[in-house]
Amino acid sequence: MRVVSEKTQSAAAEKMAKSLSKMDGVEASVNERVNGTQTRYIVTVDVDVENWRATAESLRNDHEVDYCSMITGIHWPESTEKTWEIVYHFLRTGVTDPAIEEGVVVPNIVDFSKVKGMNVPLELQISIILGDTRTPSVASVQDIWAGADWNEKETWDLVGIVFDGHEGMRRVLNPHESPAGFHPLQKQHKLRYHDHEEMYDDAQGFMRKPSDVGKVK
Amino acid sequence: MAEMWISMGPQHPMTHGLWTLKIKVDGETVVDTEPELGYIHRGVEKICESRDFTQITTYCDRLCYASANTWSHAYIYAAEDLLGVEVPERAEYIRLIAVELQRIASHLMWLGAYGPDIGNLSALVWCLREREMMMDLLQELGGSRMHYNFPRIGGVKRDLPTGFALRARHKVKLFLNRMQEYEALFDESTIFLIRSQGVGYTKAAEMINAGVSGPNIRAAGVNYDIRSAHPYSVYSELDWEPAVERSSIKGADCYDRYRIRMEEMRNSANLVLQALDKIPGGAETYHEPGDPKILAKAPSRAPEGTSGSHHFEDSRGESMFYIVGGGEGRGKKPYRVSIRSPMFITIPYAAKTMIGYKVADIPAIMGSFDPCIGETDR
Repeated sequence: MRVVSEKTQSAAAEKMAKSLSKMDGVEASVNERVNGTQTRYIVTVDVDVENWRATAESLRNDHEVDYCSMITGIHWPESTEKTWEIVYHFLRTGVTDPAIEEGVVVPNIVDFSKVKGMNVPLELQISIILGDTRTPSVASVQDIWAGADWNEKETWDLVGIVFDGHEGMRRVLNPHESPAGFHPLQKQHKLRYHDHEEMYDDAQGFMRKPSDVGKVK
Repeated sequence: MAEMWISMGPQHPMTHGLWTLKIKVDGETVVDTEPELGYIHRGVEKICESRDFTQITTYCDRLCYASANTWSHAYIYAAEDLLGVEVPERAEYIRLIAVELQRIASHLMWLGAYGPDIGNLSALVWCLREREMMMDLLQELGGSRMHYNFPRIGGVKRDLPTGFALRARHKVKLFLNRMQEYEALFDESTIFLIRSQGVGYTKAAEMINAGVSGPNIRAAGVNYDIRSAHPYSVYSELDWEPAVERSSIKGADCYDRYRIRMEEMRNSANLVLQALDKIPGGAETYHEPGDPKILAKAPSRAPEGTSGSHHFEDSRGESMFYIVGGGEGRGKKPYRVSIRSPMFITIPYAAKTMIGYKVADIPAIMGSFDPCIGETDR
């Protein structure tokens, strides 16, 4: 099968990282990973929170990053450097609508061994770090990538990151009547048997009730 | 005429699971939709934070009951990225066989459910009959019928059992023959054609912007596939091309999405046959579990500050895991596991494609996207 050569991938990734690093408050580098038998090149970007919106627009317009894969919120209550981290995963797919010739669609078959320029598929990982705040917030990119819409909803619902400018924010996985401020993936919420080695200490569960005191949420 | 909201679900044959589609109708025409998810949210991401890296595999199996193996593999690749493990080539081939067999089983489950959705009732039993062959093969590998817990960090649980290659070749070839029966059953059924053609048009660039991938996007005439665009495993060593469907000018309709999955099943079947021929050491060689040829040694701890991610071509689109190391037990457990579910992103998009069509088209459109609620709600 024809795949993108490692040379093309690394060159495209280096080019994007170099171009991104020129922007204000953006640090980009290429992360080389070996997975199984394949080498991958991930463009790893650190962005200041106030520059995120401008960076996102540049990614979409200048670098043709067209696919928002996932948004992850991480709560670091015990870390000294950061309290919140938002990690975005993007892909550059290079997908365009197939051409129409004489009223018939011609499937857009890309030969991945020959792609160049903006068509080289790329992986991006973007991280935004927030300090100690009770209301972590970051600009929404819902209008740039429609795929970010439900990712942002989920990240607010589970982690409690507020996305400024997001329209139609609501609970998507938790029940709608969950109390305000309840975001289960924040670290102060523990699983019911958090300090319990269930499998080894108490396989039958006989001891659970008394030891629940102070542990059950 | 007055517009009104109707709730389809959580118990409705259209949903293929447990969720609600709220539709706003003007007479028989859909004018707005709003999906409600989360009915079976189990908090897998939270549970993973208190399990060590090997224990998480079983939870990932249960993300999607129809496609368990692809989900546990998606996790394993991300975990290997985190822990920095190199996998023996033979193990990669065995994984490829397992994943592609699962892809066939998953697509058959979809086809079997989609037929009855739009009036082709006999499809269900036909498809489940062939799915059973795939399940038998997977059972030989993983030991159980649905949730195999087959991949390990660094390789696989077991080698191909003796005689597996013979049985797999026979069953896959039989399946390829029976594909013609399905095509006769579907492509010559007037009811199926009337209900699936000309509804639910989607365009490629729009879908990519909305985060939709996998078979749904290849139905719209592009060959974007994670397996070739971001190659992993040993797919690049086999001779194959992602299936692409020639859609109509208005985009891919439900019929195109049916055709693409048929072609994908053929593709997967051919991949299995090729992998059985090409596997290093030969398909008839058997290594004991734990042999370095099928299982590399892997560290059990990931220090703080490390992270691993992997994009994976699931049966329903691009799935992904992002794992941050450095959790409890000095990194024995992950600090954070984040799961990207293709259907969580696709369902809201699919709901919007229904606008403008009739209420009776909803099952046809929704079913054609192959929703799976286990992975959606996590």
